[in-house]
Amino acid sequence: MNKYYSTKMSIFVFAAPALLLFTVFCVYPLFPEIWMSLHNHDGFRNLGFVGLDNYKDMLSSSSFWLAHKNTYLIVGISVLIGLPLSLMLALFMDVQNPRFRRIFKTSAMFPAILSVTVVSQIWVSFYDPNWGLFNTILKSIGLESWTHSWLTERKTVMPSIGLSFLWQYIGLNAMLFYAGIKTIPKNYYEAALIDGANFVQVCIRITIPLLQDITKYVLILSTLGSMAFYAQVRVMTAGGPGDTSRTVVYQMYYTAFGTSEFGKGTAIAVIFILECLLISFLIQRFVAREKLEF
Amino acid sequence: MKKKAKVLSVTSMAVTMLLSLAACGSDNDNPSASNTASPTEQSSSNTGNGEKVKLRIVTLTTDENRNNIMEQYIKPNVAKALPNVEVEFEPGGGGEDMANKLKTYNSSGDMPDVFWDDAGFFIPLNNTGSIMDLTPYITKDGFLDKYDVPGALKHIDGKIYSLSSGSDTYFTPVIFYHKDMFEKAGVKVPTTFDELLEASKKLNANDMVPAVTPGKGGWGPQLFLLQQMVQIGDPQAMEDLVSNKTDFNNPSVKAGASRIEQLVKADFFPKGIANLDYGPAMEMFTSKKAAMLMMFTWELPNLAKDDTVDFFPFPSASDKYDSAKHVQYWGSPLNGYAVNAKTKHPEEAVKLAEFLAMMDAKYFESKGAPVSLNTGDAAPEPGPLMKKFIDWYNPIPTKIPSLALNSLDAKVSAELGSQGASLLTGEYSTDQFIEAMQKVWSQNTWFNQ
Repeated sequence: MNKYYSTKMSIFVFAAPALLLFTVFCVYPLFPEIWMSLHNHDGFRNLGFVGLDNYKDMLSSSSFWLAHKNTYLIVGISVLIGLPLSLMLALFMDVQNPRFRRIFKTSAMFPAILSVTVVSQIWVSFYDPNWGLFNTILKSIGLESWTHSWLTERKTVMPSIGLSFLWQYIGLNAMLFYAGIKTIPKNYYEAALIDGANFVQVCIRITIPLLQDITKYVLILSTLGSMAFYAQVRVMTAGGPGDTSRTVVYQMYYTAFGTSEFGKGTAIAVIFILECLLISFLIQRFVAREKLEF
Repeated sequence: MKKKAKVLSVTSMAVTMLLSLAACGSDNDNPSASNTASPTEQSSSNTGNGEKVKLRIVTLTTDENRNNIMEQYIKPNVAKALPNVEVEFEPGGGGEDMANKLKTYNSSGDMPDVFWDDAGFFIPLNNTGSIMDLTPYITKDGFLDKYDVPGALKHIDGKIYSLSSGSDTYFTPVIFYHKDMFEKAGVKVPTTFDELLEASKKLNANDMVPAVTPGKGGWGPQLFLLQQMVQIGDPQAMEDLVSNKTDFNNPSVKAGASRIEQLVKADFFPKGIANLDYGPAMEMFTSKKAAMLMMFTWELPNLAKDDTVDFFPFPSASDKYDSAKHVQYWGSPLNGYAVNAKTKHPEEAVKLAEFLAMMDAKYFESKGAPVSLNTGDAAPEPGPLMKKFIDWYNPIPTKIPSLALNSLDAKVSAELGSQGASLLTGEYSTDQFIEAMQKVWSQNTWFNQ
């Protein structure tokens, strides 16, 4: 029986459905996309071959680079702030009593199961400059000078959107870390406690190193998830004002659907796919390369 | 075994790709597709065997009027009016959402039988043969004769592509206001731009938000605010811009953009106006959080329910403009219900488009709004606010078409919205706006087509 399941044929049979879906929806669309990026296409008609002109136009566009700046800001917020916070939440969850942990787990997951549109609308109302929660709190504690029109000022719009993103997914990441913590054998901790290690030392010397596989997974998930950042921007600001809050994916959408320049839109898509592949490769290459067994 | 697995793998990949190609392909790249068919050339597939013809509609679902038309007029009457037709309604949203939906359907060869056409995406639809010339059908069945001015339905090529109630040409942007809020703040109806700024000061001093308009995505500036601000200073410059006789470097156009900047800096609009959506903007006005609303008169029937609401035309910024002599009008012969030229049931689809246009007309007429499609109903006496509007609007000799519908290709239209939203932030100067708009305007392809 085991021999039967381990043959290449059986592996192929079991993998075929997923392979089929992946080919149809991920691999195949790349080819017409690359083809379209070399043409002047308005979404309705192909208006002719233009070679690499779409790529040149996009690479010389200030909106394209602003979209990159915004995207990598979100990636930065997600990875440099979101990941450590998620890990801290998971560690905190681990040391709580079971009842509190249950409540905590539910609260942590709650934002992640809500629709992005709902969450974004809630945050839009928080950020309302006239009646929103944030400005009302700031005014009530005498910090009126700190109030902002959060979603229309150039300096505040992206961090504001990033905060809502962070809030929605920090709990989910914490749950992933928590699941990882639960796989670490208890006797490691017992030995450390006998040796007199405190909580921080245990975290640094045992928990975090042994979480490297889960950390890698969360890192890839967070990085690529935030690179594909679109829905929050669409709902909260529609990329505006102007191009202020456009991310790369939003810029791609705006170029293709807003200005009907599908050729240029797909050129952005092709460039962005290469970026995502490069980043995935770098993470795979340099993060948690050695397999841990415990 | 290894070889067999490889063969199987490659074969399945190839089959998958072929299937995908077949499924996703459409013949829209073929520009020779015809969009003209006479009622006799294409026969309906309704064979008379009792089976209903299935038709799909994608139509506007953007505001209260549209939803009322659908729920109170179209859905209750469609089965009775077209007993041999089974209709599948699909909400299309409006504006950019509608355009995107139709682009996707058109690319995948899945266009609905009947859809709301818009000047913004007409040309590519026409070029791909996806929109039908309705002239032979509506001439033959006499529907064309129900219009007061049948010629107004014709596009510049002489064909008729869309059927509407004719109410669009009565839509114009005005400033609605709450009389009681004006009274409380000691504000008189402004007749000049300076008086408008003065009114803003007084309203702000009374802790009232002077005015709102939808600003998200630059809705207001794109559809009317820029046009109004240019027009109140120099209507001729606006007419010239609409007809491509001038550009954004025209000093009068620049002065118009500068007026928007002035309004923003005078706190005429609430903070965050650049991200204020249509619904919340309407809510701010109807709940009296804002004293004025800059909006098209398609909202007049709903706003007139509140006795404290009145309106005034955009006030003058120079002697060249007189609100009794110049006005912007909405609408284009291309806006209305259109039929997919590739529908399998052309006659039924045209009948459905006629029915939809008629339901629109009946609804607007029941609200006291003027329409140019004769419904056969006795038109009710318009309410006082509608009467005031008709008495002001009808005699105006110079009606300037909307820039947004009659002069911009998709790129310029999108950029006007985008740049207009930036102008509403107060962090973007008139010069930056003009420079950016002039750049895209110089590449505008609308007039080439």
